[in-house]
Amino acid sequence: MKKIFYVFATFVLVASISSCANRKVTRIDPSETPDISGSWNNTDSRLTAEELTKQILSEKWLGRHVNEKGKKPVVIVGLVTNKSHEHIEAETFMNDLERSFITSDKVSLVQSGKKREQMRAEKADMQTNASASTMKKFGLEKGADYILQGSINSIVDAYKRKKTVTYQINLELTNIETNEVIWIGDKKIAKYVKN
Amino acid sequence: MRTTILLILLGCMNSVYAQQQLAPDQNPNYLVSQQKYMQVKDSLLFTMNTTEQSTYKAYDWYEVKMERRQNRINTRQQVRINRSLRPIINNGWNDGWNNNWNNNGWNNNGWNNGWNRNRWNNSRFFPGTIGYRTGNWWFWF
Repeated sequence: MKKIFYVFATFVLVASISSCANRKVTRIDPSETPDISGSWNNTDSRLTAEELTKQILSEKWLGRHVNEKGKKPVVIVGLVTNKSHEHIEAETFMNDLERSFITSDKVSLVQSGKKREQMRAEKADMQTNASASTMKKFGLEKGADYILQGSINSIVDAYKRKKTVTYQINLELTNIETNEVIWIGDKKIAKYVKN
Repeated sequence: MRTTILLILLGCMNSVYAQQQLAPDQNPNYLVSQQKYMQVKDSLLFTMNTTEQSTYKAYDWYEVKMERRQNRINTRQQVRINRSLRPIINNGWNDGWNNNWNNNGWNNNGWNNGWNRNRWNNSRFFPGTIGYRTGNWWFWF
């Protein structure tokens, strides 16, 4: 009887301890992220990157530039404005776009923003600290031909427990010298959410 | 000596002339714009390669309902906390009842003696936390 009691008590103890550990983590493929809340997620960012990359590298502006100038265009990434109803970080798909420029070898990319400031600060530091042979000079940066800017917008239609959300991501390529917009790409994503 | 000075002067004039030469179809007033943007370029370029968050709050009936529910829960919790922190006051009920019953003539009818002596002025039975919503309010009669 005592033995049965001890076995039962041990079983109850183990069961109670194991039931406390409710959290379970499973690793999934980043390309198969499920939709959980209906908000912007990894899948949306990936679809946007794929579509915009395909558009920007296949449009006529690239061939036209190479024919006119005889060299690859140089692009700098500008500001992306998020005017939607959620917090969206454009860097998640802009980085994919930049990587496609480098890997395809069709477009040259120059650094911009805080990373460029950091690079110049390092160059300034070299003027006093680096050896003469390894010191990098100012005034030799590659100037960009085009600037890539964008915006993210959203439209929300909600009634009781149903909601539709439409995102529109627009990117524009503008000639820095002539102010001419030479390419506009867009990606629309629509979702239906039911609570 | 004179030739050297003349050559130096010619070189300087040449460089000045080269700077003033416009590109084909260039606006001669370009310096106005150039000087304007040279002064503000740092502040304008600060947001390069970033995402400017200019979001708005979209109306979602279900989310508003959930928010209202959560606010109700939070409010009730705060009321309960405030109630537990409130100090016990003995003069609220007793003063009111005593003054009314004593000063309005009830005293003469014997109400004062009955009411005050027995229960209504006894702070032991009616601390300041007693009220309708606390559940410990009861009728004497």
